[in-house]
Amino acid sequence: MLMPKLTPYLLAAPLIAFIAVFTYLPIISSVDLSFRSWNFMSPEKPFVGFDNYARLFASDDFWHSLSVTAVFAAISVPLRLALALAIASYLKREIFSSRILRGALFLPTITSTVSIAVVFSWVFSTDYGLANAALTGLGLGKVPWLQDPQIALLVLILINTWKQLGYDVIIYIAGLQAVPQELYDAASMDGGRRWQVFRRVTVPLIMPTTYFLLVISVIEAFQVFTIINVMTRGGPAGATDMLVHLLYRTGFVLFDIGTGSALAVILFVLLIGLALVKSRVLGAKVHYEA
Amino acid sequence: MSRKLHVLIAASVLALAVSASAAQAQTTVTFWHSFNNKSGEALEEIIGKYEAANPEVDVQAEYVGNYNDIVARLQAAIPANRAPDAVILEVTRYGLFADGGVLADLTPYFDADPLKDELYDYARQIGVIGDKNYIVPFNSSTPVLYYNKDIFARAGIEGEPDLSTFEQIADAAQTVSDALASEGITGIAAPGQFARWGLVMANGSDLIDATTGEILLDDPKTIEAYEWMASLVHDRQLASADGVTEEDNGRDAFLAGKVGIMMNSTGNYVGARDALGEDLGVLPMPCNDGCAVPIGGAGIGILANSPQEAQDAAYDFVSYAASAEANAIWFAATGYLPINRNSAEQPVAAEALASQPGIDVAINSLPNAHGRARTPVVTWMRTNEYDMWQAMALGQRPVEETLIQFAEETRAEEARTSN
Repeated sequence: MLMPKLTPYLLAAPLIAFIAVFTYLPIISSVDLSFRSWNFMSPEKPFVGFDNYARLFASDDFWHSLSVTAVFAAISVPLRLALALAIASYLKREIFSSRILRGALFLPTITSTVSIAVVFSWVFSTDYGLANAALTGLGLGKVPWLQDPQIALLVLILINTWKQLGYDVIIYIAGLQAVPQELYDAASMDGGRRWQVFRRVTVPLIMPTTYFLLVISVIEAFQVFTIINVMTRGGPAGATDMLVHLLYRTGFVLFDIGTGSALAVILFVLLIGLALVKSRVLGAKVHYEA
Repeated sequence: MSRKLHVLIAASVLALAVSASAAQAQTTVTFWHSFNNKSGEALEEIIGKYEAANPEVDVQAEYVGNYNDIVARLQAAIPANRAPDAVILEVTRYGLFADGGVLADLTPYFDADPLKDELYDYARQIGVIGDKNYIVPFNSSTPVLYYNKDIFARAGIEGEPDLSTFEQIADAAQTVSDALASEGITGIAAPGQFARWGLVMANGSDLIDATTGEILLDDPKTIEAYEWMASLVHDRQLASADGVTEEDNGRDAFLAGKVGIMMNSTGNYVGARDALGEDLGVLPMPCNDGCAVPIGGAGIGILANSPQEAQDAAYDFVSYAASAEANAIWFAATGYLPINRNSAEQPVAAEALASQPGIDVAINSLPNAHGRARTPVVTWMRTNEYDMWQAMALGQRPVEETLIQFAEETRAEEARTSN
């Protein structure tokens, strides 16, 4: 009698235990460490209250990193979504060339980020890179791709967009293919032009997909690390020092685990806050049925 | 037949028992290091010789990455109780681990070891903080000035150049740049952090005083040296900015024959020799305002939490690695400085000195060589110096303002962490 009731819990227990050990416990541990002073080595972790948070909020580095991250997200997310929707609109048809192109677009998504970053480091080397070789071949001047603060951030945004675009396109294609053909037929019979049909029919009906991609891409933008660590290490002069890279530098290079954990907690709260704002602002406009 | 079978079984069991007990008697020493390619092969040779002479010790060496990677991995391994028994640590950054009680105090071992009297004074001092010995030197280096003889000749600079002042170096780099820029050749590689520290010392100053711990980042002589270094990149455009944002780019371009001058560790000697052959020229670092070069490289520390047996075996290995025999192999294969007074007498070292011109430049610099500060704030200072250097070299911030602010921040960090 008891077993049928317990069965679902027993079946779910391994996964719950896994998530508890590898997700919730580290989160709780991070929150605890954010109120302590620790350098990984000392057996003692003295409680310091909000000192770590106070030092972060008083630090220029933190605000600078936050603004760099915000700029990255503000440019990268709309760019990704707009490009992905445009490309998906062309590749949604089930024809041979579309399938090939989808595969080609998806390839960077499953390629090692470190490999991509290393290759692009060579491409964007100012004096020895392919990009400037092409420009000088055309009679143009060299561009300091990774030495100019503004350009370096744009380069990182473009590379990240290129890498993630394939995933967004595939998700959008699935969303577009789910829109019933009869709605397009009806709109067409009513005399709707292509742009009007796109705006009035397609966009509202793929809102759930857009909302999902928006949430995912904002989180991803706030967590970018590998490309930065390999290509610029936060440079030039801190111009691409985003929040997760600052967190890594604080915790794992400078041994300040307390402040690094405080930064992780702030990032966590920030992402939860952004998700709530998105839910409030956009959630009402999302319709899950045609 | 039956008796023979019994004898055979008994002998097999005995042999198995003996080999099992021998295997149990073997002490394993896990050792993290940062050497691959040629230097990795030389280290393997040293370990092989040690194990052949000490079959009761099994040294399990693991390449972990560069000095920064080792520090990052070590700090994650310590709370997880997965740290090695012995580890290579860069000479300015082991203070943090010594201060935190992570490294074993090797003073009792070292005082009882004849090795102590064999080491050069500079090498012996590297491992000492206060009155305790925390690391035994292994790969010691100073920066030297490398130049490409072929590039110099094509630029019209004949014979061995005199590059003993900042302006002489800048003039030579300018000559190379003027003559060969059309071939994609630049005059000089932007100095990496080790060379920057060396150039500050060559200008009569330091970043942090090794003896008193005084922060000298805003000393006028330090500022002057940085102004000159930054001018190579930004004002005179003699060095590629690629080497500012990624320091290895400067070295790689020099090894590819695309740069006239590079200031870098003597540990790059063999790699540069392999890349450039007879075109490689080696000179001492400049003496712009007095002659002084920093000691770099790393030593081997032993983890205080390792079992006593592993610590004993680890020290025995570490002591061998610094012996004349092992150090001669290391010196000849890499170009790192000899640390043992008797290394040069070893045939392999004597042959290297005779057949590899320029390998002795760093050795001749030893009278001017000084250890660098290794207080805990050095790690913070070195980590943040990269950003400061980039801002100055790329012309984003004035040198003097940047260094004055950086000095204040370093003092504040030192005060915070010492409380």
